[in-house]
Amino acid sequence: MMLVMVEKMNITKLDIRGKVCPMTFVYTKLYLEKMNKGEILEVMLDFPVAVENIPASCKQQKIGNVIDIKEVNLDKKTWIITIKKI
Amino acid sequence: MDFTEEQIERYSRQIVLKEVGGRGQKKLLDSKITVIGCGGLGSPITYYLTAAGIGSIKLVDFDRVDLSNLQRQILHYTSDINKMKTQSACEKLTQLNPDPEIQIINEVLSSHNVKEILQDSDFVLDGSDNLPTKLLINDACINLGIPFTIAGVLRFNGQVLTVIPQKKTTCYRCVFGDISGNTASVSCSQAGVIGLIPGAIGCIQANEVIKYLLNIGDLIINRILMVDFLNYQFNFIKVIRNDDCPACGENPVDLINNYDYKIDDACHG
Repeated sequence: MMLVMVEKMNITKLDIRGKVCPMTFVYTKLYLEKMNKGEILEVMLDFPVAVENIPASCKQQKIGNVIDIKEVNLDKKTWIITIKKI
Repeated sequence: MDFTEEQIERYSRQIVLKEVGGRGQKKLLDSKITVIGCGGLGSPITYYLTAAGIGSIKLVDFDRVDLSNLQRQILHYTSDINKMKTQSACEKLTQLNPDPEIQIINEVLSSHNVKEILQDSDFVLDGSDNLPTKLLINDACINLGIPFTIAGVLRFNGQVLTVIPQKKTTCYRCVFGDISGNTASVSCSQAGVIGLIPGAIGCIQANEVIKYLLNIGDLIINRILMVDFLNYQFNFIKVIRNDDCPACGENPVDLINNYDYKIDDACHG
């Protein structure tokens, strides 16, 4: 229980709506680099291609595991990608 | 590791690389290099390293821009003729990227000033056009323990050798020895060169710096890269360190204070 709460407190949120590839990954990577192993990053974005590109690039460069991708209904089609720093 | 929005955008295409990232970019921005010569080799070297965001770049050249330089020295424009090369270079580089601190030194590199000029560098690049200066850079960098890369170009050919004193890799003097008095050595003004040859070779030198600073890939150490652009032959020649080398051998000599480099003959002859 305690562990979950700690993780929740350590969620970093990154809003890169309006950014396109490869800047979407550049920002995601810079944030992940600053975080500690096990911490969670939530990336909010609206560039459709990035929904596939960010998880693929995180895997290729072994910097994070994508644990969730969810679509949220805002004015524009938007996604939140949840990544655990490795 | 906090970058400005502008820096993130400017360096995005290298930060995105697995081998660079934010940490690598920070390392480049924190590094100091010295480039000897703002000519054919110095142009691409300084241009690409300024663009890459090397934090501090020292430019050393004593010469002024001449019309005959423009065929290959791409930092200089027709309107720069008679301007100091360092000044002309600095104007272009600061416009390209305001991040690096550019320092200019309008002096002939000699045994009197070489240590002072090179001492605070993380890496030194030779873009000179004569053997005595290359030997002087070699000897001073080994003495100071600074890694460096030396190149030469002539006609359609180029060669590159990088030396890492800490790793005791084969030095320029190990290979070329005492040939500074050899009249067979020619400079570009005596023998021609196609302009893009120093362009391509200078790019390889710049690549050596980035790789060294980021500790990635294989450097051109203990081997010389020989490129023949006429027939497109890229060859490595293995070069073995000379234990008796007066610069890097087991019993090094104080060459800077005792060796006659004949720099004046080479630079003003």
